[in-house]
Amino acid sequence: MDITTLGGNILGTIPLGDIVIYLTPFHLFMFVVVLIFTALIAMSRTETQVEAEFGTLKESKVSVGLSEFKTRRFLAIVCGLATAGAMITGDLFNITLFIALIGIVNVGIVSAVKQVDVLDAAYQYGIIAMISSLPLFGGAAMILAATGTLSLFVLSGIAATPMMIFGAILLLIGIAGETGIAPFFATKAEMFRTPGSPFILIIHLSSLMVIIRAIEVLLIIVT
Amino acid sequence: MINISYNSFLVIDTMNLMANVLINVVIAFLLGSLLLGLHRKIMARIQLRPGPPVIQHLLHSLKFFFKETSFPKTASMPFYVSITCLYCAIWILAVIIGPVTYGTLLIIFAIYAVYKIVEHNAGSSSGSPYGKLSCVRAVFSAAAEIPLFAVLAIIFLQTGTINIGDIVTYQAVHGPLIFSIPLAALVFFILILSKSPYSPFSITKGKDIISGFETEHFGVLRGYMMLSESIAWYVLLWVFLTVFFGPLSINGYLIGMVSITAITALINATTPILNPNHSVMSQITLAIVGIGGSLLLMFIV
Repeated sequence: MDITTLGGNILGTIPLGDIVIYLTPFHLFMFVVVLIFTALIAMSRTETQVEAEFGTLKESKVSVGLSEFKTRRFLAIVCGLATAGAMITGDLFNITLFIALIGIVNVGIVSAVKQVDVLDAAYQYGIIAMISSLPLFGGAAMILAATGTLSLFVLSGIAATPMMIFGAILLLIGIAGETGIAPFFATKAEMFRTPGSPFILIIHLSSLMVIIRAIEVLLIIVT
Repeated sequence: MINISYNSFLVIDTMNLMANVLINVVIAFLLGSLLLGLHRKIMARIQLRPGPPVIQHLLHSLKFFFKETSFPKTASMPFYVSITCLYCAIWILAVIIGPVTYGTLLIIFAIYAVYKIVEHNAGSSSGSPYGKLSCVRAVFSAAAEIPLFAVLAIIFLQTGTINIGDIVTYQAVHGPLIFSIPLAALVFFILILSKSPYSPFSITKGKDIISGFETEHFGVLRGYMMLSESIAWYVLLWVFLTVFFGPLSINGYLIGMVSITAITALINATTPILNPNHSVMSQITLAIVGIGGSLLLMFIV
């Protein structure tokens, strides 16, 4: 499959040995969007959740403490940079590494919160993410074994074989688990009840962006 | 001399492109607003109410730009403000990628994903519990809507391209895709339905949470949101018609957009909003049936 058919005309390439980073309008859009959001996360303060209390006229306020804020902001920025890396890299192994990093950091972003429901959800998501790392890296290993390369630029010129398709299916399962999309979303959605809007945003952003990039990568492999 | 000529052509090309973008964005806003107004009018008439005039959505959008803007003390700044600008920017970009340049569907897909992020953050950044619930529901609904949008992969497998211009050319030769991959068209229609006002799937803006992620945005910020809504509605209809019905004339687009708006209004007027779990599971089921069925049809035919 010609890469330009998927993402538009190639704007430029950076050859790093057999790994070729290539830039199309699609990658540029994804990369820039993630960087904009990461920059906004770095400079934003968190919201204060306000809720009315039952039986009284008082209201409860939940906000993020300073030390928790610093830790979560750092992890959110790391997640943003990992997502940006996954958007622009031309190497399948790098993509799997970035996705694994996103999974770990996502758990970290909410693990500093002191809410039982949120921690439960983070724990369940962490287990799914850990289990999913096997098919994720296994899929990349299958494709390497079948083709001798992990460069997407080279893979785009290789006709699909049953082993490559099997590897792609494993990759898809791994990415679905790591990013927590359907059918794994139920483990993840409760994490979003915590305050700290900019930080939980990056959890959602990284998942969706990675899924879209994954569709491009899978189409490159199987067609 | 050659350089001057080349530069002149470049400047003229750029200016033409800018004018084209401007015209298309204005058309998207005006037509999208009128279609949403028509949607509301049809829903009202089905429910035996007179309903507001068709231009009401357009007037509302313009009105908000002149109203006072206030900011909640609890909001996450500057996200609370910038998210509305991003909301507007992504759909203007969708107009550029779609009707202006006939670019790749993957970017439209990516824009839709960013739109889900915007829904999420607009809800959570205000500190309001209604916005927060909308934010959690946006995460739920993204899990369902993204697989719906992923049906575009079927289009790629059928046509061998994901470039809108090439898909139109393919249809000019082989006939509209609605006949060869009808289930994929149905799934995309469900996605459009989920984005229509008062849809059974519009859990992020359910009336049980007031206006969901829009509840705490006022004045100019709300104006930007309504403007983006109109453009988004136009772009989604344009993509559906272009990708599944092939090369259409202006009249074809108008008839198609009005028809789809009327159909969604009919459905929305006669169905309640589903609860979040039912909404997500219905959409995921439809996505699986649509993708699986389309693949089966492609292998059989």
